[in-house]
Amino acid sequence: MPRWLRSGRVIVGLLIVLAVLSCALFAPLLAPHDPDEQDLLATLLPAAWQAGGDPAHLLGTDGLGRDVLSRLMFGARVAMTVALVASFGAMAVGSVLAYVAGYLGGWADWLIGRAVDVWMSFPPVILSLILMTGLGTGASNVILAIVLVDWTRFCRVLRSEVLVVARRDYVAAARLVGFSHWRTVTREIVPATIPLLVTLLTLEMGIAVVVEAILSFVGLGVKSSQIAWGQMIADGREAIYQAPWNLLAPVAAIFITVAGFNMLGDGLRRSLDVRMVEGRE
Amino acid sequence: MVDLSRRTLLQTAAVGALAGAMPAQAAEADGVTIGWPSDVTSWDPNQRFTPDAQAIFKMVFDQPLDQDPKLKLVANLVSKWEMAADARSLKLEFRDDVLFHNGDRMTSADFRWTFFERIKAGHKVDIAQSFRKVTDIETPTPTTAIMRFDSPAPTVPVWLAFLGSFMVPKAYMEKVGVEGFSAKPVGTGPYKLAEYQLNARIVLERNDAYWGPKPKLRRVTIEIIKDPSARVAAVQSGQVDITVGVPVREVARLKAMPNLAAELNPITRVILLQVRNDEGFADQNIRLAAHHAIDKKALSQAFYAGAAVPLSVPATPGSPGYLDDYSFAYDPELAKQLLAKSGFGPDKPAKIRMASTNGQFPSDYDMARAIVQMWKKVGIEATLEVIEYAKYFELNRGNKLPEATLYSFDNATGDPEIYTGYLLNPKLPFSPWKDMGLGQKVIDQFNVADETARIAGWRALNREAAEMGATLPLLQSVQTLVRKKSLNYTPYGNGWLLGQTMSWS
Amino acid sequence: MILLATLGRRLLVAVPILLVVSVLLFVALRVLPVDPAAMSMPPNATRDEIEGARRQMGLDRPLPEQYAIWLGHAVHGDFGRSIHLRRDVLPLIGQTLPGTIELAVCAMVVASVLGLAGGLLLFSLRGRAAEAVAETGTTLLMSIPEFLWALLFIFVFGVLLQAMPFTGRLDPGLERPVVTGFLLLDALLVGRVDVFRSAAVHLLLPAVALGLAFAPPIMRVLRSSLLDVYHEDYIRQARLRGVSETRILLRHALKNAILPTLTLMGVQFGFLFGGSLLVEVIYSYPGMGNLMVDAVRNADLPIIQLVGLTYCVVVLLINSLVDGLYLVLNPRLRKR
Repeated sequence: MPRWLRSGRVIVGLLIVLAVLSCALFAPLLAPHDPDEQDLLATLLPAAWQAGGDPAHLLGTDGLGRDVLSRLMFGARVAMTVALVASFGAMAVGSVLAYVAGYLGGWADWLIGRAVDVWMSFPPVILSLILMTGLGTGASNVILAIVLVDWTRFCRVLRSEVLVVARRDYVAAARLVGFSHWRTVTREIVPATIPLLVTLLTLEMGIAVVVEAILSFVGLGVKSSQIAWGQMIADGREAIYQAPWNLLAPVAAIFITVAGFNMLGDGLRRSLDVRMVEGRE
Repeated sequence: MVDLSRRTLLQTAAVGALAGAMPAQAAEADGVTIGWPSDVTSWDPNQRFTPDAQAIFKMVFDQPLDQDPKLKLVANLVSKWEMAADARSLKLEFRDDVLFHNGDRMTSADFRWTFFERIKAGHKVDIAQSFRKVTDIETPTPTTAIMRFDSPAPTVPVWLAFLGSFMVPKAYMEKVGVEGFSAKPVGTGPYKLAEYQLNARIVLERNDAYWGPKPKLRRVTIEIIKDPSARVAAVQSGQVDITVGVPVREVARLKAMPNLAAELNPITRVILLQVRNDEGFADQNIRLAAHHAIDKKALSQAFYAGAAVPLSVPATPGSPGYLDDYSFAYDPELAKQLLAKSGFGPDKPAKIRMASTNGQFPSDYDMARAIVQMWKKVGIEATLEVIEYAKYFELNRGNKLPEATLYSFDNATGDPEIYTGYLLNPKLPFSPWKDMGLGQKVIDQFNVADETARIAGWRALNREAAEMGATLPLLQSVQTLVRKKSLNYTPYGNGWLLGQTMSWS
Repeated sequence: MILLATLGRRLLVAVPILLVVSVLLFVALRVLPVDPAAMSMPPNATRDEIEGARRQMGLDRPLPEQYAIWLGHAVHGDFGRSIHLRRDVLPLIGQTLPGTIELAVCAMVVASVLGLAGGLLLFSLRGRAAEAVAETGTTLLMSIPEFLWALLFIFVFGVLLQAMPFTGRLDPGLERPVVTGFLLLDALLVGRVDVFRSAAVHLLLPAVALGLAFAPPIMRVLRSSLLDVYHEDYIRQARLRGVSETRILLRHALKNAILPTLTLMGVQFGFLFGGSLLVEVIYSYPGMGNLMVDAVRNADLPIIQLVGLTYCVVVLLINSLVDGLYLVLNPRLRKR
């Protein structure tokens, strides 16, 4: 068993993430109801265990009489898709730029460094809001916005790591032996930064889940026909007195998912012995 | 205020003496706090058409003509008005006892300024569009004015009591400029603006020199609370005395509280689907099927506690354009037959797009999602997109609205021209229906000067539009209102909530 | 002196960044699929009237020219007029920024207090069984972003307990003193205890919600910095000299461990400032975030542009300040 799998955090985190992922994948099989099926005669039912609840709807129904639990499961699809695709995208953009900047140095480093400075002067929430205003709603635009905002997270941290690695003897040796730049980077530098990359990636997934929820919450996220947790929260806020589970269920779903990614990331960071500056968003 | 005239000084002294006799802090019985959903966009009341701000403006400013609670047009600053038979001129007589808050007397010169000179001077005011037909305003005496129009304008009196038509003082505005005016607005209304914090609160003090019936309450505080659930919390905790626009579902819950009264008041707002005459809706069968498939009663039940009246024409019950003897049936079977005639069905659905606002009016988005579901059952597959209200006009100008758009149209006057004449006029930005067959009839109807013929014409058009599927009226909107039981107010058919009508019992 | 010099230098660097940001904002907002000219007119305007407005707003000119015009006006303090509200944009910022700063500063105080206390607690638990529990606790805390805290607080304190107000900045009925725009400060300046109380109560939920979300990273950095510092020789020497553990922690270790924590707090403050937007929306708090969201809804470009820029200015200012403080607190860096 590899070392990183012996960490309790990694296992717990992985289990949570896998659970959410299977909810997303098998939502059509798991969900007790069609998540879009409305029943205008049974709107805002409370949870099954509360007075007036219906055992058929474990977490009650929303303002259109749709089953909250089923929507929660289908909501995991958007959340996980965005989390996975957006963080890989942000990693791809950020890390390529980081390798270029860290390895080449000089004007490339300067240029990329300044770009990061400009980006960092923007609070991420504001930047993603402005981007979504321009791009319009939709899951792919949410992903694009997250990539465009969050590549700096990877670039900043990875660049300093590349700088350290690039100065190591074996990298110099590789160049002396006559390896091309491409080969030096891909064979020597990239492998040395993989642990950091994996850790950052995991943490970014948690962030992406939150950002997607935020954007959907303010109505600038996925298309309205898609089921998203942020949108459920926005809907549920209207009915906070009648059917609080409309609000609490998606809040809990976001918390659990993000916690899963964070546990996993944290565990990986420790067991892979990655040193990085902490901070969020 | 700026520059006090002698008269103002005397008045201020009188007001001061009065105020001095009263306790410094407004007691509850002497004031009211209103929880209101939106701020004024500017204190220049002519500037922006915002239906929500209309009630606030009506406390500080006066309109030349007014509407009573039943929406009948009544005298106000204008004591008498007379439309010429050809509807090309309007004679007005003004009261002579009206003072602006700064003490200046209101005359016909102020009227000419507000509705003509300002516009010609290039002030950016929305009323410029309402009074486009005005070629001149003559002011033979300080209390008379004659408006001249370049074409028949039978609805100008209605417009003088409508959006943005508030009298502003010529002398004062010329002196301080539009910016200065917006900072320190001066009207003739029953209240004066005492304090204003953008997006937060408006405090009004009674105008003791008011020409009309004096308000009972000395102070009106308007708290701007944009969030509906926050308005609920505020009225529940007693932080505000009265509020509107709370979620319909909350009304039943708040009604049960001992000290609160909660009401669903039908208003002049219609909720309807604005439709295109082409693309997926080119076929009349599909449009009519879409209309027959909507269970308006269920929508009303689910989202308006059954209080919203299902409509068959774009006019509200009691207004001149309404047809008591006509109704468009909810009949999903008929809808399926109509679709089958055009070769569609649940297995081969007709595909259209639909747009809705989210949060523009109560339950808009929920209703749109429910309609999509109702259509799905008969064989119409609609993809729903959310648009901002402000974008509606822009999309429509570019002919880019989808086949159906859920829309709420407020017509505080109740006049059929401002319903059908706007909603189905291809020349105006409200209508995505661009077919000139119906369109020309609508446009021609604007020039009918005879009142009886005019109303009859609109009623006929309403029916024709519904029967050809050019409009899909849904519900008459309701205003949700929650207040302390001991607070009295006068409900208006168009939802105005006016401090001057309030009192404590 | 050093602080001022660093600040000055940093601010000089910030100017080109701001310029680039303004260009990006300008371009990004001009490709929006909205027509500001059409939106500035009432619904019953004609096509010609809209075209007239477009020419008047300069929207028919090429983009670089539009930007040059905008910049020319901007350096003279004219940031244009709001399309929707039809008033100058700059005063709108003046009216809303203090509220946002007040919220952000209070939240930062909450975050710092909780973060530092939590960090010390985590550190003091080192090597004990409870450490693992506490660390898992911080991981879980980190998984609750500010908007979830904000919603949870409304549910618990507003709806369930009905103990706290959760909208606006002040109880209705209280007159708001306007001196500086910072409500708490103004209330004290005019000596209104009731206003101060009400403002503080209104600020509590949003500030704690926002602060809580940013406290956990501070805890962790303080803890790991303390752990690092304890490996240093001078700690061992102090111990040998018989200095008490508390004194070592507070006098020696904390002084050195605080530096990385401070840097992080600076970065955090920038993020927190942006995060205030959602909290403002949820608590109907009349600040810049609400102004921004309204502007986005109405596609009010001049407002979006200036608000975006203001957020950047504040973040850059904070970063410069933190850099300056860092140098003041860390004499070793100065000599280099």
